[in-house]
Amino acid sequence: MNEMNAIDRHGLRAAEALQEVLDPEIGLNIVDLGLVYGIEVFPEEQKLRCLLTLTTQFCPMGESIVDGARVALERAFEGYAVDVDLKFDPPWAYGMISDAGRQFLNA
Amino acid sequence: MGVPERLRTTPSGLVLPFYAYAAASFLASALLAFFSLDAFGEHHHHPHLLAVTHSMALGWATMIIFGASYQLVPVLIERELYSVRMGYVSFAFLATGIPLLVGAFYAFDMGPLAKWGGRLVLLGFALYLINLSKSIALSGIRNIHVRFVHTAAIWLFVVGAFGLVLVYNFTFRMLPGDPWKYLPLHAHAGVLGWFLMLILGIASRLIPMFLVSKYTNERLLVWIYYLVNSALAIYIVAFYVPALRLIAPLPWVLLLAAVILFGAYCRGAFLMRLRKSVDAPMKMSLLSVLMILLPLVAMLAYLVAYAGRGGEGGQLLTTYGYLIFFGWITAIILGMTFKTLPFIVWNREYRPGSFTGKPPNPKDLYSDGLFKAGALAYLAGFAAFASGIAIEHPWTMRVGAGLVVVAAVAYNANAWKVLLHRKRAPK
Repeated sequence: MNEMNAIDRHGLRAAEALQEVLDPEIGLNIVDLGLVYGIEVFPEEQKLRCLLTLTTQFCPMGESIVDGARVALERAFEGYAVDVDLKFDPPWAYGMISDAGRQFLNA
Repeated sequence: MGVPERLRTTPSGLVLPFYAYAAASFLASALLAFFSLDAFGEHHHHPHLLAVTHSMALGWATMIIFGASYQLVPVLIERELYSVRMGYVSFAFLATGIPLLVGAFYAFDMGPLAKWGGRLVLLGFALYLINLSKSIALSGIRNIHVRFVHTAAIWLFVVGAFGLVLVYNFTFRMLPGDPWKYLPLHAHAGVLGWFLMLILGIASRLIPMFLVSKYTNERLLVWIYYLVNSALAIYIVAFYVPALRLIAPLPWVLLLAAVILFGAYCRGAFLMRLRKSVDAPMKMSLLSVLMILLPLVAMLAYLVAYAGRGGEGGQLLTTYGYLIFFGWITAIILGMTFKTLPFIVWNREYRPGSFTGKPPNPKDLYSDGLFKAGALAYLAGFAAFASGIAIEHPWTMRVGAGLVVVAAVAYNANAWKVLLHRKRAPK
């Protein structure tokens, strides 16, 4: 149970760190935009793996978003080896934007 | 760590020189128009009008479209460009050839200056077409946006080759009859085949993207694609087959249908947008879609009122040309520049890890106030200049031309503010 809580805590911390990374065009963070497909934290091995997508392949802002996610995670998890991978299956869709993200875009 | 293959976009070093060249050309063209006002009251074959038209069509519109498409085509085809180097060489050919050609038209010297200008421009077009064709072939993606862009690049090469033939035709007769009679063919293939096809293909992708709209309608875009190409094909056939001149209005009716359908497409994207606030550059881009109707209405009015009455209605034809190059083509570029350029520069300057502190928002790289002031000057100047040409009123033209120069200065100040932006707090 304690181990489970530790994993949740790490996942939450990673998600909070990724909320600092914004899509420069839309101004919305990549978590609410639905670009984060998964976060795996391995505290024993001091490793973290993040699976991201982009709104479109070869997005001109793609490199900036991936680098931003890596830097944000490295800051939040000092000493961890951070690995950010891209995944385009399933492709990103507008339905992946969270309710909070929709509210932000509606403002 | 190397850049993953799927993130390797076109280097800004290739894209930005096209934007810089285009901005300078817009100002040069606006000044050229201002100092050539008398020519707008003459026949539309006037050398100064040919110079202004080519400066606008090549230096301004084609250059910025090349730059933007080198950046955006990889998004459409989901792979990097076949050759970045070929892109640089195309820039060198065009950047050298365009002033030679424009200068030759201004002086109406169809000798070596015009011929070298035309050859260099055509080489630039050829490299663009080869680069695009190879990139598309390697990607295997053939969606409707890609078809629009590829077809436009093919038309561009055909138009460029035909334009060079027309330049030669003034000194070595290669085509039968009056050398001037082919000019409308060259002009319409360029406007419809290149500008309209390319802009519709890219805008149909960018407008929903920037509005964050889930609207898609590929079938509608396929209809638009065939309507524009059919209109151009019928125009060309009717040009060569005198018996078919009766159907002269048909291409314009088909184009009107295509533009109305594209308007419906943009409306769909607008209504289904998730992002409620629409910024000024986006409003200008959407307005440009409506502005496509203006030259179509002018041409239909010309056909109804003057067609077949040799030489009459010349001012309406000059107005028609103005409505195209200073109208919707310029309007969409004014808007889309500030939806793309700040992001390209921001991406270069503020890559995470190379910058400490909070980076500015890409939108802060240009002045929104200056954009709005320039947009107002442009719209007022465009309306005045176009009306002035139509009613042959020199002072209305002068005021309009002056306001367009003001708009070009504001555009250049804003574009160069972005182009010269450097990060202030490097690591």
